[in-house]
Amino acid sequence: MTDNIINKFVDAEILLDESAYKKIKNYNDSAYLVDSLIKHMTTSSPEMMVLTGKVVEDYLERTSPDILKTTYHNDSKSQMKLVPQDYDFQILKDASNKSYTNGEIRDLSSYFRSRYHKLRDLLTYKRELKDSTSIKEAMSRDDVVNIVGMVNDIRYTKNNHKLIEVEDETGSATVLIHNENHEVFEHAERIVKDEVIGVLGSRKGTLVMANEIVNPGVPRIDEKPMDFATVFISDIHIGSSTFLDGAFKRFIDWINGDFGDEQQREIANNVKYVVVAGDIVDGIGVYPHQDKELTIKDIHEQYEEAARYFGDIPNVKIVVAPGNHDASRLAEPQPAIPEDYAKGLYELKNLEFVSNPAMVSLDGIKVLIYHGRSFDDMAMTVKGMSHQQSDLIMKELLEKRHLAPIYGERTPLASEIEDHLVIEEIPDVLHTGHVHINSYKRHKGVHLINSGTFQSQTEFQKIYNIVPTCAQVPVINNGSFKMLDFS
Amino acid sequence: MGYFETLEEGTAKAYKVAEEARKKGHDIELEPEIPLAKNLAERVEGLVGPPGVAEKIKNMEDTMSREEVAFHVAKEIVTSDEVMKADPGNKDQFKIKEEAADQAVRTALSIITEGVVAAPLEGIARVSIKRNFDQTWYLAVYFTGPIRSAGGTASALAVLVTDYIRRSMGLDAYRPTDGEIERYVEEAELYESEVTNLQYSPSPDEVRTAAKNIPVEVTGEPTDQVEVSHRDLERVETNHLRGGALLAMVEGVIQKAPKVLKYAKMLDMDGWDWLDEFSKTKKVEKTEETDEESKEEETKIDDKYMRDIIGGRPVLAYPQTRGGFRLRYGRSRNTGLAAMGVHPATMEIVEFLAVGTQMKIERPGKGNCVVPCDTIDGPLVKLRNGDVVNVDSVEEARKIRSQVVEIIYLGDMLVAFGEFLRNNHPLLPAGWCQEWWIQLLENSDSYDEGQRPELDRYLQEGISAPLAFELSKKYQIPLHPDYTYFYHDVTRKDLNSLQSWLNQDIDDHNMEDSLILDPGPEKRILESLGVPHRVQEGKVVLAPDEAYTLLNTLTRPLDTEDNISTMAAVNQVSSVEIMAKAPTYLGGRVGRPEKTKERMMKPAPHALFPIGTNGGSRRNIIDAAKKGNITVDIARCKCTNPECGVGSMQAICPVCGARTVPSSSGKKRINLANLLRKAYKNSGVRKLDEIKGVQGMISEEKFPEPLEKGILRAKNGVYTFKDATIRHDSTDLPLTHFIPREIGVSPQKLREIGYTHDIHGDELNDPDQVVELRIQDLVISEACAEYLVRVSHFIDDLLKNFYEMEPFYQVKTKEDLVGHLAVGLAPHTSAGVLGRIIGFTKAAACYAHPYFHSAKRRNCDSDEDSVMLLMDALLNFSKVYLPSSRGGRMDAPLVLSSRIDPEEIDDESHNLDTMETLPLELYQKTLENVKPADVVDLVDNVKKRLGKDEQYRGLIYSHETSSIHQGPKICLYKTLPTMKEKVDEQIKLAERIRAVDQKGVVEGVLNSHFLPDMAGNIRAFARQKVRCTKCNKKYRRIPLSGECSCGGNLILSISKGSVMKYLDISKELANRYPIDPYLVQRIELLESGIHSLFESDRSKQSSLDVFL
Repeated sequence: MTDNIINKFVDAEILLDESAYKKIKNYNDSAYLVDSLIKHMTTSSPEMMVLTGKVVEDYLERTSPDILKTTYHNDSKSQMKLVPQDYDFQILKDASNKSYTNGEIRDLSSYFRSRYHKLRDLLTYKRELKDSTSIKEAMSRDDVVNIVGMVNDIRYTKNNHKLIEVEDETGSATVLIHNENHEVFEHAERIVKDEVIGVLGSRKGTLVMANEIVNPGVPRIDEKPMDFATVFISDIHIGSSTFLDGAFKRFIDWINGDFGDEQQREIANNVKYVVVAGDIVDGIGVYPHQDKELTIKDIHEQYEEAARYFGDIPNVKIVVAPGNHDASRLAEPQPAIPEDYAKGLYELKNLEFVSNPAMVSLDGIKVLIYHGRSFDDMAMTVKGMSHQQSDLIMKELLEKRHLAPIYGERTPLASEIEDHLVIEEIPDVLHTGHVHINSYKRHKGVHLINSGTFQSQTEFQKIYNIVPTCAQVPVINNGSFKMLDFS
Repeated sequence: MGYFETLEEGTAKAYKVAEEARKKGHDIELEPEIPLAKNLAERVEGLVGPPGVAEKIKNMEDTMSREEVAFHVAKEIVTSDEVMKADPGNKDQFKIKEEAADQAVRTALSIITEGVVAAPLEGIARVSIKRNFDQTWYLAVYFTGPIRSAGGTASALAVLVTDYIRRSMGLDAYRPTDGEIERYVEEAELYESEVTNLQYSPSPDEVRTAAKNIPVEVTGEPTDQVEVSHRDLERVETNHLRGGALLAMVEGVIQKAPKVLKYAKMLDMDGWDWLDEFSKTKKVEKTEETDEESKEEETKIDDKYMRDIIGGRPVLAYPQTRGGFRLRYGRSRNTGLAAMGVHPATMEIVEFLAVGTQMKIERPGKGNCVVPCDTIDGPLVKLRNGDVVNVDSVEEARKIRSQVVEIIYLGDMLVAFGEFLRNNHPLLPAGWCQEWWIQLLENSDSYDEGQRPELDRYLQEGISAPLAFELSKKYQIPLHPDYTYFYHDVTRKDLNSLQSWLNQDIDDHNMEDSLILDPGPEKRILESLGVPHRVQEGKVVLAPDEAYTLLNTLTRPLDTEDNISTMAAVNQVSSVEIMAKAPTYLGGRVGRPEKTKERMMKPAPHALFPIGTNGGSRRNIIDAAKKGNITVDIARCKCTNPECGVGSMQAICPVCGARTVPSSSGKKRINLANLLRKAYKNSGVRKLDEIKGVQGMISEEKFPEPLEKGILRAKNGVYTFKDATIRHDSTDLPLTHFIPREIGVSPQKLREIGYTHDIHGDELNDPDQVVELRIQDLVISEACAEYLVRVSHFIDDLLKNFYEMEPFYQVKTKEDLVGHLAVGLAPHTSAGVLGRIIGFTKAAACYAHPYFHSAKRRNCDSDEDSVMLLMDALLNFSKVYLPSSRGGRMDAPLVLSSRIDPEEIDDESHNLDTMETLPLELYQKTLENVKPADVVDLVDNVKKRLGKDEQYRGLIYSHETSSIHQGPKICLYKTLPTMKEKVDEQIKLAERIRAVDQKGVVEGVLNSHFLPDMAGNIRAFARQKVRCTKCNKKYRRIPLSGECSCGGNLILSISKGSVMKYLDISKELANRYPIDPYLVQRIELLESGIHSLFESDRSKQSSLDVFL
């Protein structure tokens, strides 16, 4: 341990005196303190390179406990780069290294219970569901029904009324939504399997006649002041023969202030964060005969290539979540891209890896990052939804307070003991990708962003006539939305 | 008495017994439920009706083609007075019209499919008269999944005939809305992405054109749980994929456009001209292709058969690769109809080929079944001691198998001309063989018939090398194939170094001695040339014949300057003409193993009697009876005796003994203990340990079988299928001639059943004579025979104890089965074919006449189907047991064809060659890659015999085989217990076969089997259903309560084991062989994905703690 502490400072070219050393050594999480001290010193006061006991004391007093909450994937190497800005970057929610499933049936059971309980807590917080009862109890009474249940099945009667089967731990009930009850019926058209809803109605025999369906929903949030710019990208697909390297280079040049008109350069100057919502590389073995469409057939080299691109972006904090093409497990939540595969990227000190989904705070702005696999299911199941308008899907998911409600279709879900896909906290920004088509919408104060792609139309997309929006990069600059074109 | 009369008499006798038994009233019907049909017309009437249609069909058949008959019969049905007069405005009369249209489509489709296939019953849900938005009436046909069994052309014609019916009824054309048209476009794409590939992938515009122009609505039932985005269209009842409709439109109308157009024109139907567009584009493409094709035929490599390499199913030869199977034309008495001959020594050496094993091949078709033929060339192998030997017997193959280090040549594959004809594949250059050589000799100017005896003597005694050269010089013909080596497989330089090596000490060499040479790299050239030799005391020894041949062929160094082929260069120096020994190599891999096994449902019941979960997971009726009363979902039958009227669930009232009629079904409490006690008494059986029933009935009326049948089946160890018949399944193999000894039946017994003479017209006395097989006779596997013996015991027990009649079979040993009648029935069909058992094969297959297989609409590329004893089918089969679900009437004997008319069976068997020798001209034509249809005049086949007496006899073959079950009977795939061992052997074999690249095989297995399997299972694992261990109920998602509604335990439907199954073996392969790093990385990624799903980070962390 002793050597470790000293080595780290040596590596960072910082001298420390005896008293500083003692203070650090006696601190209960010394390794952590070392890292944050080094970071603090390299970012704030480049001229002072001797660390004294007093500095340590001041630092601890001034910053604790907040600054120490920030998580870093730091190793013994130091932060060589001098980053001019002071970031307040925090990972609020991350599923990496928290996979506690053994793949057994009880894990599956606890996964759905976790989902149900988290969402029920959100629902029963609402006025209209304060008095909700268990389904078993509701079905034994004759009067008003007020329940919270997970959707099992959705059917139609012969007369085209909707039947929704919901369940909780005590039992299940079939809810009938009359097609002349237009408002409710229209709402019910957007209900999908395995989401959790509140039902208000009355019991008629074995059926519940619904008067109202309640989503967990989101309240309108207040706008937060923002004096910096955040760039949102995804689906870069480095390694693919359809990766648009020229456009991506222009994008990097822009961030570095070497591309674009005056206004664009001004924005670039203001950029503090870049968020990547998955599919940074094209991966290998994602679909049959993928090797024929790859220019880099080695997954390690794909990430090395990515590291070369991202290594050219200094002075900006980069946050990377995995997508279905990345070298993480396929089932969601996907843990952060493993270091084994992305060594070069891990060596970049201004780059952070998070899970998919993950919630981060960028100077107090909460960004929920989700790659968007569940859009496939939503587009297939819900009338009027499509890959082209992922903003509508995002809005719906936000109202459902779940990123991937439908189980058993295209989106593989890991039977984690806790459901990490529930949207427990309302973000300021929901950032997604996957569909390769940009979209933007403001819903109740939340920015809904799909960041398109840096990959031109693939063979697969050609067959299905999917036209991607390439190299269109959304930016939130001082709180307002801008789209920049690098194509 | 003639053959068919014998069969008819036997059938009549069986029906009589069955009728008497049925009259006793124990079964739901008082008569056997399988109507007899002598021909197509009767089968159609028996399968779909309407009554009397057989007569009409027969009257038309003389003057019209089958398709014309179909269209005319359909028209007659819908233009009867009653139908024409009916007013669509009136509800009842509307129904009359609709029903007539429905009947007409089914009858027509049944005629087109020869009254065998189940598609007319199961492939069409209904035909409806519907309204256009302008209030005009049109016709809609609702297809279902099983329309697939009809095939593309027939389903296309079903659409055309629906339109013909629409016109005949005076209805308007269907006018689709834009939404409906786009719905088809979407469905076609969705079907390919979500369900499976269509045989033909249409462009969206093609679908659009078809949907817009087909004058009837081609719609259907939902077949797959996939929703479309064009939802809630007013006239389309479902939002799910309509698989049947897509098959009819895409694989039918669009793919078969030229044929549809042909019939539309023939019948003067307008409104189909738009198909011209499709036919033209296809034709243009085709003619362009064919020009190219014939040019490129030799270089074009089709490795489709290798696209998926499956674990444990070895690749035997890469496409067109030296050392692969050599193409040899001809037919043996057990080949044809997609079965092809391989030397049994080859089968022994590779071990993965047994009699009846399927192979996926490069060409001329996609697949075949392997059967032994020992008059073609066997393999050439190299042994551990360096010897290179031709293996030409099974015994030798077994003896040396363990010493084989390399299989240099796999030997011949005997392919009938008919296979090329059926696949419309240009002929490929024939391998140089004796039957070709001898015809050249006979056609030589220097030959006259007086030399025949001398020639025959040579052929009998064998031809030495000096004699071979002498004959070639005398008659000016190429060198005999035995002394023709694979010169084209080596370079001229190779041959020159070989030539100088041979000549190093030649001066001392006496031409009658072996040539002894110092070892050197030239030995490898000898191996590649396919020259047998030995290694003795470190020296390479060439036998006199081989030495003589090489020295007289390679008389001086070859010309290496000019740009000529090795063959041309060899012919410049050789003293006689040298032919290309193997101008065509065929690639192939092992497919599905052969099979012969009793049909068992899972779990396998003895009786179709429902006991719910009362009998435990084994569904044991005895256990259930221990509970006394049980409640099950079962038929309710009411006594017809007005004074009794008691309700029961049997065909005979248990109170008064009168007949009952089923009224409904529902949950009912039955006293099973009591029923079982009575049934024991009735069946004369004291006590059994296990009689297996079913959990619930899946038939409409839920009428159960009498328990007595279950008791007697259990007693005799036989199991029932869903329709109450007992089946035995085998791979289909063709046979046109047999030898009494090989099928284990004495000439005397054979004479008794009508085989009086052999192939040469001599009286049958000797067990080694060759006899032509009658067209409905079967040579069943020994396993099948043993099972059928037990079935016959069951039938006799049933007749004696249950029906109280005389036993029928009284069979003691399997030999007693000879002469008894059986029914052959293929899946996807609904018509059984009458057959007669005449012998037994050790192979795991059922040998029968190609006509018999064709009558069931099967060929012999590993199709398998069932046989049952005729009396079992007549006594026990009942429609009442058939599942009520879609497809329930497939694979059920709804009619029985008692007589095979070669004209009325699938025309695939019409391509069967029937020649003793293929003509010389044909061999020469193969070198020009001509189309088989252009030289079909040179070949005698079944098609030319149709309608004549010769269609039944004289179907001779060109290559003898000494036994139809030589070589391995069980493919190595089936005897190796684990996948690891199968793959190990597969890879070892790949290492030995020269025509196979071992690394490619390893990569292939990973790429097309193990990796997709693992990836698929990981994906499936993360979206799996759960299942109750007690009641077997399935849940799409685990209920929040965590348990089944019955209180039982829930378990995962996809286990950890199935996800991990191939992980270790894949890693091991990746370690052992230098495979593509891309694959190595895919395995690593899958592994980390698997670990992430099955290993908790908590346990990883804690184990790390321990480590620190």
